Amino acid sequence: MRIIKKIHRTFKLHRIFIKQDLKRLMEYKVDFLTGAVGMLLAQAINLFFLSVIFSQIPSLNGYTFEQIIFIYGFALLPKAIDHLFFDNLWSIGYFIIRKGDFDKYLTRPVSTLFAVTVEKFQVDAFGELIVGITFLCVSIPQIDISINFINILLFIIAVLFSTFIYTGIKLITSSIAFWTKRSGHVMYMFYMVNEFAKYPTTIYNKVVASIITYIIPFAFTAFFPASYFLVGGNPLFNIGGTIVMAAALMALGIFVWNKGVSAYESAGS
Amino acid sequence: MIYVEKLRKEFKKAIKEPGLKGSLKSFIKPKNEIITAVDDITFHVPKGEILGFIGPNGAGKSTVIKMLTGILTPTSGKCEINGQIPYKNRKNYVKEIGVVFGQRTQLWWDLALRETYTVLKEIYEVDDEQYKKRMSFLNEVLDLESFITSPVRTLSLGQRMRADIAASLLHSPKVLFLDEPTIGLDVVVKDNIRNAIKQINENEQTTVILTTHDLQDVENLCDRIVMIDKGKKVFDGAIDSLKERYGQSRELKFIPVNFDIAANLDYEREFNLSDNDIFVENDGHSISVKFNSDKVSVEKMLSYTLSVTHVKDINVGDADIEEIIKDIYKSGVDIGG
Repeated sequence: MRIIKKIHRTFKLHRIFIKQDLKRLMEYKVDFLTGAVGMLLAQAINLFFLSVIFSQIPSLNGYTFEQIIFIYGFALLPKAIDHLFFDNLWSIGYFIIRKGDFDKYLTRPVSTLFAVTVEKFQVDAFGELIVGITFLCVSIPQIDISINFINILLFIIAVLFSTFIYTGIKLITSSIAFWTKRSGHVMYMFYMVNEFAKYPTTIYNKVVASIITYIIPFAFTAFFPASYFLVGGNPLFNIGGTIVMAAALMALGIFVWNKGVSAYESAGS
Repeated sequence: MIYVEKLRKEFKKAIKEPGLKGSLKSFIKPKNEIITAVDDITFHVPKGEILGFIGPNGAGKSTVIKMLTGILTPTSGKCEINGQIPYKNRKNYVKEIGVVFGQRTQLWWDLALRETYTVLKEIYEVDDEQYKKRMSFLNEVLDLESFITSPVRTLSLGQRMRADIAASLLHSPKVLFLDEPTIGLDVVVKDNIRNAIKQINENEQTTVILTTHDLQDVENLCDRIVMIDKGKKVFDGAIDSLKERYGQSRELKFIPVNFDIAANLDYEREFNLSDNDIFVENDGHSISVKFNSDKVSVEKMLSYTLSVTHVKDINVGDADIEEIIKDIYKSGVDIGG
């Protein structure tokens, strides 16, 4: 019962915070509209370049254009969901800790990680989300994927846990700031590895492939789960791997975060 | 209520030589030194007391407050408030305290002030009826009505401080921590804030710990002060006892009828005083004599002065706490407590 109450309260707070942040966006109308236009432009440019690439290359390492679009679209979903809900971790890496602004989260009776992440609802992510879903909708009818209950369930699970791979990596790297005061560039370096995830891992050399499989496992946010739906394969590795990686990264992330909170030194005032 | 025992906080600080070269050097081969910001401080605060926490810049006041509010984890020592250890059961603990850092704000910067209160209401799980009651009380004490619909970014510093104090009190905390609540404010607003703090303390028996550089705050509000310097406690007691112990300094101020005659006054010779015990200043309008009342009584000073010159006006001032504290800061000696 207590757990249910706690979850209920968490969702309620979450809703309230999102509402607040949307109000904040509305407060600065010009900025909001410019941001929305910029976001659409960025995705349009992405689309344009992809179409240029695939007008030259009909297939990539055995993957057809439609299959690549499926992987690309899949890759965008967890990225977008993480972007939507956990974007404030970037501020942890860049300035919240350095400026001592973390103090206020510590004086509130909610978990610090929750308080930090719910404070920002990054609507920019809707661009990626829309493009991702569009890619999937365009590619799925043209490739041989059976749409059944199991597959839909596995798809949802795969996207959900892929999201936590993103969040986990950001959590670990942003927490470094508790000791170094600033870790934004470290975060950025690790985060940008996700660019590799949009394409089949098999096109990379061994070193890159190992890195994105085992060390910074972005391959599990797109290629591995997506290729399960495309060409079959072992769900224990392709989907199970995503779950294991996500769980491991989140566990490590929360551990490092908590260690970091007790090492937090604030800033002089 | 609040027990602090041998509380200590050390920070590791990188030693850097000046310039880019120095920065590079410390980047490649960092050297650290340990800085003790708070050095085994012990004190207790009973329920309902207003404790003034004073000390020069960098004395460690904020560090102590941050440990008491669960923001920093102490290196060693103990602090217990309401039977809870701040950094251990943080989430539970902070429900019972209110915190204001004068230099920062916890208000939602971009939104109307009221929005902050509605969010805090949810965070602290204040029910609707209690919230209504509380808001009208805070409104009465801190006069928020006129700006509650304005975005926080447009508030003046005085308004913002009142709003921040209200935010810290929304959940009726048992202990209120105020870190420099009157910093940068004008005299009228300072006075309002002091009255508000007093009223809340009286109405609800809220224990208040406040740090300040404004000694008017201390004189008007505090039952007791703890003075720290370089991380160590140098005084702990009532303000009166501070005056008693260190406040032998008195000031005799008078306007002589004739300045030439008054020039014949020679206190040093008359009472055989050293430079440390007497200081005479003549600004052309009046003459001010600061003296140590341990060495020579007020009565003797007065009668000697009046025996030499006629005066238009004369008065003897009490020890000024500001002066005492300045003296203690400057001398920096451990005077025990």
